[in-house]
Amino acid sequence: MLRIADKTFNSRLLLGSGKFSSPMLMQQTIAAGGCELVTLALKRLQLDKLHDDLLSPLREMNIQLLPNTSGAKTAKEAIFAAELAREALQTNWLKLEIHPDPRYLMPDPIETLIAAEQLVKLGFVVLPYCSADPVLCKRLEQVGCAAVMPLGAAIGSNQGLQTRAMLEIIIEQSTVPVIIDAGIGAPSHAAAAMELGAAAVLVNTAIASSHDPVVMAGAFANAVSAGRAAYLAGLATPLQHAVASSPFTDFLAGL
Amino acid sequence: MQVMLNDKLLQVSANSTVSQLLQQQQLKTEGLAVAINNIVITKRQWNEQQLQNNDSVCLFHIVTGG
Repeated sequence: MLRIADKTFNSRLLLGSGKFSSPMLMQQTIAAGGCELVTLALKRLQLDKLHDDLLSPLREMNIQLLPNTSGAKTAKEAIFAAELAREALQTNWLKLEIHPDPRYLMPDPIETLIAAEQLVKLGFVVLPYCSADPVLCKRLEQVGCAAVMPLGAAIGSNQGLQTRAMLEIIIEQSTVPVIIDAGIGAPSHAAAAMELGAAAVLVNTAIASSHDPVVMAGAFANAVSAGRAAYLAGLATPLQHAVASSPFTDFLAGL
Repeated sequence: MQVMLNDKLLQVSANSTVSQLLQQQQLKTEGLAVAINNIVITKRQWNEQQLQNNDSVCLFHIVTGG
């Protein structure tokens, strides 16, 4: 079971809700992936536009909604977004994300740490999206974050675990769940993250932008389970030379 | 009196509350958040919080996102 703050989850596959062609497809994908934590965003309301009923189908499912602070460029903006999100969804759970640079969407570590500390004091359960920096992850843990969410690669890039060596250190040191967020582009990447000992992965683009998100969500769920089982079983150590897996017998010696 | 609702100038009756404004605009309150002059107004306060002349009321809602 995955435990974050005071809640437990059976699924270690978190889903981002962006880029789906309809709320119904998103709902089917959540079900197919068995996802229990789903991220959402916040936007200024356009008064003259009709909006899809996004929340009703999600409320029917037994899932934890996780609003994010996407769009915030500073700690101050993120705290404002967090307070709005708490009211909009009536939850104190929050995915904190502050990425001022639109090209690479790299999280601002300084603003993220400042915001995280204040949000924890304001009673939020803070899950910060952050760089794969072991020192930063430790600092985020120390100010009271319920988990850390270091990136595998840039958001939406599908490049996999580019930060693998740093993720290994983060996982080794962390006493809160490490959720690999961003960059996971294929089920094999998710399995690799879980084999490293990640507590969970968060996937959005790789599922939502696939030809068949429902089937892809199932593939990711299997990969996450396989990777987790492999981690728990303990992977065999890689070696430079061959080690025979069949016994060397002398039954051919007389030929 | 008048208030700004996002980018729209609106005439509202004096002493209108946030709840009354939302009803007047026929807005669904599920997934909605309100800030007045950049201060978040909690849902509990909607029934009591009265609007002042020239208030800037911003509405936000939940959308999809990763």
